[in-house]
Amino acid sequence: MSEAPSPDPATPGPGQLRVCLYVAGDSPNSAAALRNLRAALAHLATHSALVEIVDVLQHPERAFRDGIMVTPMLVRREPLPERRVLGNLSDRAKLQHALGLEIPQ
Amino acid sequence: MDLRDETLQSGERRHRTRIPTGIAGFDQIADGGLPRAGVTVVLGEAGAGKTIFGLQVLAAGARDAKEPGILVAFEESAERILANTSSFTWGGPSLAEVGVHVLDAQISQAVEHGGEFDLLGLLALVAAKAKQIGARRAVFDGLDVLLGYLSHSGLVRREVLRLREWAHESGLSVIVTAKADAADARPASEYDFLQFMADCVVTLHHRVHDTTALRFIRVAKYRGAAHSANEVPMTITPCGLEVAPNTPSELAHPASTERVSSGVDRLDAMLSGGYYRGSSILITGAPGTAKTSLAASFTAAAARRGERTLFVSFDEAPPQIVRNMASIGVDFEAHVASGLVHIHSLRARAESPEAHVARIRALIREHDPQNLVVDPLSALRSRSRDADDEGAALQVIDHARSLGMTLVCTSLLGNPLPLTEKTPLGISTIADTWMHVSYVNQGGERNRALTIIKARGTSHSNQVRELVLTQEGVTLADVYAVGGEVLMGTLRWEKENEARRSRTAAHTAGRLREQKAELALAQTRARAETLGREEAVLEAELDVIKAEVASDVAHRTSEVDQLLERRQADAGTVPGLGRVDPVSSPS
Repeated sequence: MSEAPSPDPATPGPGQLRVCLYVAGDSPNSAAALRNLRAALAHLATHSALVEIVDVLQHPERAFRDGIMVTPMLVRREPLPERRVLGNLSDRAKLQHALGLEIPQ
Repeated sequence: MDLRDETLQSGERRHRTRIPTGIAGFDQIADGGLPRAGVTVVLGEAGAGKTIFGLQVLAAGARDAKEPGILVAFEESAERILANTSSFTWGGPSLAEVGVHVLDAQISQAVEHGGEFDLLGLLALVAAKAKQIGARRAVFDGLDVLLGYLSHSGLVRREVLRLREWAHESGLSVIVTAKADAADARPASEYDFLQFMADCVVTLHHRVHDTTALRFIRVAKYRGAAHSANEVPMTITPCGLEVAPNTPSELAHPASTERVSSGVDRLDAMLSGGYYRGSSILITGAPGTAKTSLAASFTAAAARRGERTLFVSFDEAPPQIVRNMASIGVDFEAHVASGLVHIHSLRARAESPEAHVARIRALIREHDPQNLVVDPLSALRSRSRDADDEGAALQVIDHARSLGMTLVCTSLLGNPLPLTEKTPLGISTIADTWMHVSYVNQGGERNRALTIIKARGTSHSNQVRELVLTQEGVTLADVYAVGGEVLMGTLRWEKENEARRSRTAAHTAGRLREQKAELALAQTRARAETLGREEAVLEAELDVIKAEVASDVAHRTSEVDQLLERRQADAGTVPGLGRVDPVSSPS
């Protein structure tokens, strides 16, 4: 799950969400970030979002290449512009905004 | 006490517990360097030099100690950091080549803050990089920026402790820099914990005084180590940070008994052979009293011995000095060309005294001279600060001493009676030899009078000499004291002529008496010789007479014997012709 399966076989169409979450193992903040991200994406259709998880403890070279030094960090790669959110994503509003999703009623 | 043992520990042991910083003068105030495999926190306001401190330590480690390093930048981009340091001798893009890597960990404005985070990932990444390049040192530059995203001080505390634990486990020597309030170089209160957990805390501080920037550095805390907690002047030079410790730790310099010429023969005589090598000589006097000429004479004499001299001049350009010295017979040009004399001009008011000291230190490192001339040392007095007035000047003396250099410095001092006044520079008490040149107005002339006020370890003349500048150089002339007044210049010349005349007259009279005595002696000797000859003649005559008498007696005796033989007479039977018998002969 942690290795990047790119290029993606199912090339994301226009408007499709593509995010990458950088975590440090299963430390509390990283685990919380993953949980919070999943919760935020739960109501989306299966193929409308592509999520990649990078564990920097396992793959530091990926972090260096992508310019990520602090975890947990969520990067929205698509749609552009790129957006970044630092932290365990407990701030629901900021997460929704970064993902470009409306807050569900 | 343990602290003392710590300071006396061997170099090897020190190497195990300290990392040399490569910052000139800093290791001296920090017990030999920063804690190895420990955490040092560097605090200072914006522009205080925190990043330079960190990078310089990394550069020195990579270059000199084969200890590559990593700088994690939280406040500026890696490119900017490298660009900002490119003006330093050790900085710029070449840092990567020697083994200093900059990791960009800036959290840009665009990054949303979406909850808590920790340093786990960051520390793992730094450890991975360190493993990859074999790094032994790491700098977290501007960590306060990242910690500022944490929502409360409890979390800051937790992450700072995590960092310390990581540092001790990884064995990396870590430097954390953080901003502090300008007022007292203390971090904002939530970062007090940074200081608490650190093994060593260094504060940087700068303030502008009288348009001159003054920088200071202080080792505020050093766990288990003897260190000077004083605020110490610091400057930023092309070599990076330079600390100018004013510690008396170097007083144990060896004292040389070797004499070096002052360049003025008669002055050497007055000083029992010249200045001591490695001593410091202070020449005070009013403007124009030939202080520079005396210093230059020393410099030229040193060059003739093949020694290098750094001649630091304030507010006078090298060509000007060369020309001026040529007019009094001191040939600087050839010595400058041969590299034995290096003249460096500084502008007194352009920089703080501390910056000048740092520059002089750098020049000494560059040229490695045996002798140093600072003309005038009084240029190092700060203009408006009352306290620590002569700190910079003392530092120069101390530094020259610690390197065993002979230091000749001049100082403006207008008062003709220095002994009754306190010298503006307390350096007169530190200097080994102090000479004062004053003007003496007399008979419509202004002449220069040189006095040796003190000369440590030297039986020196207590007499005043007139200092004369000629085209052949600086010379000293005797002065005449008449009725308690010292005569100089023309008056001295007149007095000298008079003395010369009376000396000549006395000399002539003496010569006459001597000749008369010689004549009498010669006559007597001649007479004695004549008498001797007469004596010899008389002796010879006497010998002749004696011989004649003896011969006559022998002749007559043999005649009688022959007669008696012919007559065959019995002995003693011929009356009147008897054998001559001394016993029986009639008396």
